[in-house]
Amino acid sequence: MPHVLILPLLLIALGVFLALLLRRAPLTNPQAGWLLAVFPFAAFLTLLIAYGQAHPQTFSVPWMPALGLNFSLYLDGLSALFGLIITGIGTLVVIYTGYYFDGAHASEHLQHANRKSAITNHQSSIETRFFAYILLFMLAMLGLVLAGDLITLFVFWEGTSITSFLLISYKYKDEAARKGAFKSLFITGGGGIALLAGFLFVIHLSGGADFQTVLASREILTTSPLYPVLFSLIALGAFTKSAQFPAHIWLPEAMTAPTPASAFLHSATMVKAGIYLLARLNPALGNTDLWFWTLSLIGLTTMLVGAYLGAKQNDLKPLLAYSTVSQLGVLVALIGQDTEIAFKALVISILAHALYKSALFMSAGIIDHETGTRDLRKLGGLLRQMPILFGIMGIAGLSMAGLPPLFGFLAKETLLASATHPSLPAVISTVFPLTTVLAGALILFQAAILVWGTFLAPPADPKHPAHGHDPKPGFWLPPALPALLSLLIGVTPVEPAFLANFLAEAAKAAYGDKVKVSLALWTGINVPLILSLVAVSLGLALFWQRNRLRPALMALLPNLTVNALFDGTLRGLDRLSKTATRLQGGKLRVYLSIMVLSLGGLLVLFNGLPFGFVLEHQSLNLTGLNVLRLFALLMLAASALLSVFLRRDLHAILAVGVVGLAVAVWMALEPAPDVALVQVVVDILSTVILILSLTLIPRALRLRAMEFTHKQSRPGLVRDALVAGLAGLVMMAVTLTALETRPRLSVVTPFYAENAKPLTGAKDIVGAIVVDFRAADTMMEILVFALAGLGIYTLLHYATRKAGVHSREASAPDLPPHTPLGVHNLPTSPLLHVLAYAVLPLAFVLGITHMMYGHDQPGDGFTAGVIISLAIALWYMLFGYYETRRKLAWLNRNTMIAVGLTLAVLNALGGLAFGGGLLAPVDYGKMLGLPLPPGFALTNSFLFEVAICLTVMGAATLILDNLGHPREDDPEAEAELDAIGER
Amino acid sequence: MNLLTALAIGLLFAAGIFQILRRNLIRAAIGLVLISNAINLFLFSVGAYNGIAAAYANATGQISDPLPQALVLTAIVISMGGFAFVLSLLYVISTRYKTSDSDQVTGLKN
Repeated sequence: MPHVLILPLLLIALGVFLALLLRRAPLTNPQAGWLLAVFPFAAFLTLLIAYGQAHPQTFSVPWMPALGLNFSLYLDGLSALFGLIITGIGTLVVIYTGYYFDGAHASEHLQHANRKSAITNHQSSIETRFFAYILLFMLAMLGLVLAGDLITLFVFWEGTSITSFLLISYKYKDEAARKGAFKSLFITGGGGIALLAGFLFVIHLSGGADFQTVLASREILTTSPLYPVLFSLIALGAFTKSAQFPAHIWLPEAMTAPTPASAFLHSATMVKAGIYLLARLNPALGNTDLWFWTLSLIGLTTMLVGAYLGAKQNDLKPLLAYSTVSQLGVLVALIGQDTEIAFKALVISILAHALYKSALFMSAGIIDHETGTRDLRKLGGLLRQMPILFGIMGIAGLSMAGLPPLFGFLAKETLLASATHPSLPAVISTVFPLTTVLAGALILFQAAILVWGTFLAPPADPKHPAHGHDPKPGFWLPPALPALLSLLIGVTPVEPAFLANFLAEAAKAAYGDKVKVSLALWTGINVPLILSLVAVSLGLALFWQRNRLRPALMALLPNLTVNALFDGTLRGLDRLSKTATRLQGGKLRVYLSIMVLSLGGLLVLFNGLPFGFVLEHQSLNLTGLNVLRLFALLMLAASALLSVFLRRDLHAILAVGVVGLAVAVWMALEPAPDVALVQVVVDILSTVILILSLTLIPRALRLRAMEFTHKQSRPGLVRDALVAGLAGLVMMAVTLTALETRPRLSVVTPFYAENAKPLTGAKDIVGAIVVDFRAADTMMEILVFALAGLGIYTLLHYATRKAGVHSREASAPDLPPHTPLGVHNLPTSPLLHVLAYAVLPLAFVLGITHMMYGHDQPGDGFTAGVIISLAIALWYMLFGYYETRRKLAWLNRNTMIAVGLTLAVLNALGGLAFGGGLLAPVDYGKMLGLPLPPGFALTNSFLFEVAICLTVMGAATLILDNLGHPREDDPEAEAELDAIGER
Repeated sequence: MNLLTALAIGLLFAAGIFQILRRNLIRAAIGLVLISNAINLFLFSVGAYNGIAAAYANATGQISDPLPQALVLTAIVISMGGFAFVLSLLYVISTRYKTSDSDQVTGLKN
């Protein structure tokens, strides 16, 4: 039953949910702790059963099959070792958490919160948040060690980073907690990114993400030229996670987390993630020079640095934290080795460390909880008050010091045996034992001052001795169990074979070959034992001289920390981003220049310049050039340049209008009468809209803007001209290439040309394409156009409105009727009025003709709509806004848009009903047998044209209406604007 | 002829870019019209056939490619809608920032 492998994860996830539900439960914290501890314990048992059933075993469900991603789990000796440590210690930690937040400490913890509610609701003040976080953390960590492929592992890996952030910042009102949490997330999260990159390399090379594939492709991975890259990336991830020098700085600051979290984080989780990963990948990536030297050197450095820094501490938690750093260095160095004994030492050290470190951390938390301090300078003489705790800490401390008959002794012996292994190369063979002995002595010294300073030494401050007493059994039981185990494994007369076999399996998975593990303490007098004696003597000597040594250590390089490097990096990043932001000075023109240049640059970079191409294709051949085309060309060039050089905006706008007309001439010469027609009317309408919008901007502002249009510094002008010139050249190159290389055969055009008449009854192929073949496009297009109109309406009516001012519609002034004032409130000639009266009905006739006969002649619904809009625009120009609105009150633009769009949709559905498909051609006239004039057919194409015309007309009128709307007179604003303009 | 077409489109485009880079926002709007003209002309010119007759079913001789024509036809109308929208933005800017100088439009709120 392979599904059993998912059970541990599900059980803990269930625990998380239950923890969240406990908020209102009538339980005390310890009760909640016992209740929730059931879940990790059940996970522990399930894991044990699963391991007993089969190992290695896998579980896999497809996750993103398209990408070849699975959610897979994998259980072998190594993951079982870690998984059992996580769930086992996790169970104890959860029980411990309940007591830790019980009573005095809990209320102290809550003092930041509302004190009153803490008292009244004391019964319900379960630390649900903490329970949930720690179970979530456990889930992430367990998933990490059970993951069956690199991607699943990475997901859980990041999960541990995030959940540990939540735990470290648990007391988020405390600045140190926030800083510590940030630092840990910054360092481990950064490492995580490197790790992902490394994983992707591994997956790319080995061809799969699951461990079976990865572990089987050692040859490919280690011989690849990418090996140094992927190794560095993965090592970076593992080292940052496992707090290796110089990334170790986050671990001591993570002490701001509540003690249960620290105990868990240090003994069983988080920092062990990097160790697990390195051990897991050792068979695939290890046993190379790079692997050996990097891991050995970093590991040994960390071992020594951690031991040295730990010896300087006065606070129990940082002292233990640095000893963890040292121990992690040991483990990394061991994974770097390529000897059987090293992996024996590895698994024994992992277990021994997990046992004694969890016991010590939880005990430190109890001392803090009971006496209110963790400072060695205030503690002392607690032996009588807390005999049980002394027992626990004494045993765990002896194991930490590596003294017989405890498990820690065995760990140190095997470590020394690997340090003195004959296969080591020259330098390491002296450095490794030396470092180990020195670090061992320092760790023993720390363990000694820890136990001595807390329990045996006379109170450091005799006037205020620390007070405390042994807590409830439930509180000391969690640290007592691992401490007891450390002792039992050591002193048991019969070697526990199952444990030895279990450890051997774990070591085998990490080493890649069989490893023999025996747990016998006594192996005869040999080099490791002698070295061990040296270390112990040295440590005792240090301890004997503690009163002289510690001040000396404190004085030695007190400010030398890697934190300066970290802070410097952060400051550097800040400065870098500030510099980068300076580029964005808020000048839109600069952004635009950069965009245009980069776009042009990219085009040229990827395609090159078609210089040779131009010559090759004799592009200078001028066939097709005639007088009219030359005229259009010159008109276009001249008016484009004029629009640049003319000083006044109005003139420039007129020049742009001429450009549009020149384009229309060009199109007409193609010959493309339909497009040319639309271009002409749209160009005129655009020009009108532009001129109308000019009136929107206060004159003072416009004059001022016109002034600096040409009063620009010469370098600025030259720069802009260069940018524009380059962009023009690139555009020209693109056009030329497109023109020269375009296919001379179109796939769709012949179909349209042949079928326009038979299928749609239209002689005009362009019209047929617009309203029939590609009618869905056109529907979208009129929708967009209508939305543009409505968008403008919304912008001008709501976005510019001041708070409290309501609709402007109501503010029509009481002008006497028939006092038409045109644009800019200038009087207009009555002659022109007559013209306007005449033009509007003419425009309607013209538009309707266009729609009726558009399928055989140039012109269509667009043209019709724009032509009618132009006539209306003339009214706006001549009569002004109010008069036009009054005279053309029947012209409701919103209704027109609505009717137009509805008609378009209904028409499409009509095709579905009568023509056999959405937008299919239907001839309603023939269907109903209507007597229609020749040349006109009542088809759904015609109805579509009407819909287009109505929509375009409505939207265009809406635009004219809003842009031609005289602004409200706001004397204050006007004066302000005038003042700005004059400045 | 191709070279001349490319030259005209390049020139139109360059003029548009130059206008868009002006501080005066009205000029920038003008630049937008020029650029959309250039692009429409470009799309229009790269059809498969250069015909001698308009694209009608009963035309004699080679017709010019109707497909890009139809596409450009819609593009022209759409660019007018977009252009009008830009103009209304211009108005919003001039009332909110009390300027039509793009260099003075720096903050996000005013």
